[in-house]
Amino acid sequence: MFASTSRCNAMARPVFGRVKAAGEAGSARVTHLDRDRALVEEARRDPASFDALYRRYLAQVYSYAYYELGDHHEAEDATERTFLAALTNLHRFEERARPGDGDGASTFRVWLFRIARNVVANQRRGRRRHPQAPIEAAALVADPLDVEGGVAVRDEAAAAWRAVGRLPADRRRAVVLRFVEEMSTAEIAGVLGRSEGAVRVLIHRALRTVARDLGRGGRSR
Amino acid sequence: MTLFERDGSEVEALLTDRYLERVLDRATGGPSIGPVDALLKPVLRDAADQLRRDLVRVHPSFRFEERLASRLAEAAAALRMPAAVGAEGGVVPIGILGQASLEGDGRDEDVFLFDDEDDLDRRELSRPLLIGGALTSAAISLAGAAWVAWRARPARRGGAMVRAARAVREARLAAVHAGRLD
Repeated sequence: MFASTSRCNAMARPVFGRVKAAGEAGSARVTHLDRDRALVEEARRDPASFDALYRRYLAQVYSYAYYELGDHHEAEDATERTFLAALTNLHRFEERARPGDGDGASTFRVWLFRIARNVVANQRRGRRRHPQAPIEAAALVADPLDVEGGVAVRDEAAAAWRAVGRLPADRRRAVVLRFVEEMSTAEIAGVLGRSEGAVRVLIHRALRTVARDLGRGGRSR
Repeated sequence: MTLFERDGSEVEALLTDRYLERVLDRATGGPSIGPVDALLKPVLRDAADQLRRDLVRVHPSFRFEERLASRLAEAAAALRMPAAVGAEGGVVPIGILGQASLEGDGRDEDVFLFDDEDDLDRRELSRPLLIGGALTSAAISLAGAAWVAWRARPARRGGAMVRAARAVREARLAAVHAGRLD
């Protein structure tokens, strides 16, 4: 029934498809296919069912907040605000077509990340300082059993985190959404409120900057 | 920037996008790098590979996850609370409205949350309404209690038997004071 695509995150993307209802031989209706539709509808009927959506997206929202704010406590705070706002405003969420199918495309994940983006932006504005990507967090990617290799991996990861942390805010967001959240260009466009072309250019420029930064760091080591 | 340069940049951005699709697909068993991807500069491919490898998803603590789940369950229960129990206003989690106009960097041209001023006004009014409802209920309750107490006070005047008993009691008290019953 569900249309499939080859994208890594296709399941979170809304896709238009033609479905034939049982007993409707020959006649078809156009419908949105969104991975979260059933859960969203259930949560609308019974707010307690929002828990399933929360569990599905907790790590993603928290991760985004952590990369943006660089602090576990602040990331927790932003995550909490995001989910509470999503729960109390769920009735305002509208499932829409993707950008290629018309303006203002959205899915629950895109909608949730737009809330997260705004909450994080408010939080950053509140503390009035530019966050630094926490270098120590790069240790997360190191293998604890491989000490020598772990140090190398940690250094490399720290360099990558530093390079991303130095990017301008819009490019950094786009990179985090692309690489950490594995969002498609269309989804990132929905979250950031930009066109897909603009997002492609943002990421390309970010990648050029990071490549230059990493190359310079590599030579200096 | 000339038209040629701009076009070149856009083409490169498209190539980057295509390459990233493949890189991210690889993790989920997608196709490997194709011949078109080789057109992208190796330095950009290396940077993309490194970011793919090093930008990991960070998970919150289990304790935080469960604490927030409880908080959301409470909020969900409050959302289900019927209006008949005196909540004339809606239930709004305190702290959300105050903290979040939820407009990002001031560039969010399509604000999706609290963007309707009427809706915002209604939300801001909901707590005073709730408090007002509670105060009104309390005032009515107090007035009711006072009326019941007034109605239930002992009668000052009784029937003939009461008056006779009172006269006997007063006579006895007068006799006690006069010392005649000692």
